[in-house]
Amino acid sequence: MHKMKRIFNQDEDRRQKPIPLSKTFEMCMRNLKNRRGRYVLIFISISVVVAFFVTTLSYQRLVNELRTTEDIQTIAVLQRAGALLADAESDKQQRDQMIWLLMLSGALCFVGVTNTMYMSVTERYQEIGTLKCLGALDGFVVQLYIIESFFIGLVGSAIGCIVGYLLTIVQAGLILEFGILTISSLFYSFIYGVPPALFGGTILTVMAAIYPTMAAARMKPVDAMRVEI
Amino acid sequence: MEDQREIVRTHDVRKTYYMGSEEVHALSGISTTIFAGEYLSIMGPSGSGKSTFFNMVGGLDKPTSGEVYIDEVDISQLDIYELAWLRCRKIGYIFQTFNLIPVMNAIENVSLPMIFAGTSTDESRDKAANLLTRVGLGDRLTHRPIEMSGGQQQRVAIARSMANDPAIILADEPTGNLDLKTGQEIIALLTEMKEERGVTIITATHDHKMLAASDRVIWFTDGKVHRIEHRADLDIQVGTIGGME
Repeated sequence: MHKMKRIFNQDEDRRQKPIPLSKTFEMCMRNLKNRRGRYVLIFISISVVVAFFVTTLSYQRLVNELRTTEDIQTIAVLQRAGALLADAESDKQQRDQMIWLLMLSGALCFVGVTNTMYMSVTERYQEIGTLKCLGALDGFVVQLYIIESFFIGLVGSAIGCIVGYLLTIVQAGLILEFGILTISSLFYSFIYGVPPALFGGTILTVMAAIYPTMAAARMKPVDAMRVEI
Repeated sequence: MEDQREIVRTHDVRKTYYMGSEEVHALSGISTTIFAGEYLSIMGPSGSGKSTFFNMVGGLDKPTSGEVYIDEVDISQLDIYELAWLRCRKIGYIFQTFNLIPVMNAIENVSLPMIFAGTSTDESRDKAANLLTRVGLGDRLTHRPIEMSGGQQQRVAIARSMANDPAIILADEPTGNLDLKTGQEIIALLTEMKEERGVTIITATHDHKMLAASDRVIWFTDGKVHRIEHRADLDIQVGTIGGME
C-alpha cells in the first residue's frame, strides 16, 4: 500500500506565487493568434479612429510646414488652394471642430472596445474559472487581459497610423500638389501625427479593457463547475 | 484506506442561498468524513445539494456555517493565495464539460497546472507527455481539444488533474457528457489512478455505473445525507461487480 501523502506540511510554503510575466505573455500571444478572427472588429474600429487622428494632425502640420517656405511655386500652389493666409479666427474654429470630432470618435471607439472585450470575457467565463481552479491568481487574469488589449491596441493603432499617414500624403497631393512636398515637411508632419496617435490608440484600448478585466478577475472558480452559465 | 486516515472532514456544514426574499437551504447540516485513498461517490438527484457540497470540499465555495477541514486545516481560514495553492497542487479537478483550454493542445493543457506551480517549461512538458501516454493518448500530444473526441478530452482532463500529484481528485459528473462505453473507460482509468497513485477520488454523479467502482457512496437528499453505503453493501445490491476492481 502506498504511503498517504500529507497535504499540509509544516516546512512547505503554502502560498501560491505569481507566475513569471514571460509565461503570461506567451499565453497571451497564443490566445491572440488563435482568436484573431474575433478581434477583427476591434482592429478595424481602432484603426479607423487612429487613421483619422493621424490624418487630422499630420495634414495640419504639413500645411503649416509648407507655409514657411520661400519657394515661389509652393506659395502659388498654397494660394490657389486657399491655404496660404488663413486668418487666426477661422484656423482656431477649424481646430476646435476637429478636436470635437476626434473626441467623439475616440469615445465611440472606447465604447466599442469595452463592449468587445467584455464579450470576450463572458465568452471565456468557463475558461477563466478553469484557470482559477488550476491555481491561477487574480493578478494573472488581469495581466492576461491587459497584455492582450495592449497588443490589440498597438497593432490596431499601427495599422491605423500607416493608413492614416498614407491618406495624409494622398490628401496633400490631391488638394495641393505632390511636387511641392518636401522631405522636411513630410518628416515633421510624420513626427507630429504618428507617435501621439500610436500612443493614444494603445492607451485608449488598454483603458477600455480595464472594466471587463476587473469583471474577469473577480469571477469565482466555482462558476467553472457549472454546466450552464 | 487500510489506515483510514481522514483527509476531508466536514462538521455541520450549512449553505443558504437567498433567491429574492426566499431562503433556500442547499445544505442543511452535513457532517461527514472522507478517508485518504478511497473512491467516494456522492449520489443524489439534481438539487439535492451534492454539487454545493462538492464545491465546499474543493475549496471553491465557503459554507454559510460549519467547517470544512482538509487534512485537519479549516479551509475557511485560508486566504486567496493559500486557496490558490491548495487548488493548484493538492486538488485536481475534473469537470463534466472537460473544460480544456481550447487554444492549447493536449500537452500544453496538461502542463498548465505545473506552470502555475512554478515548474520549468521543459520539466512540465516532459511530465505532461508521460501523463498523456499513461492515459493512452501518447499519439495525440499536439492535438487540440477540438480535434479530439469527448472521451479523449476527458482523458486529457484526467492527465491534467494529475499534473501536480494532488492528494484529492474532484470529479463532477465526469461521465455526464460521455456515452456508456467511454464513460466506463473513464471510470476504469480513474480507478487505476487511485490504485497507482494513492489519490482520494471524490465524484459527484447520478450515473449508476460509477457505483461499481466506489468504495463508498454517500446519498444526498434535500441537503442532507440520506444514507452511506460501503462497497460490501453495494456488492449485495448490484451483484456482479467484482471484475471492476
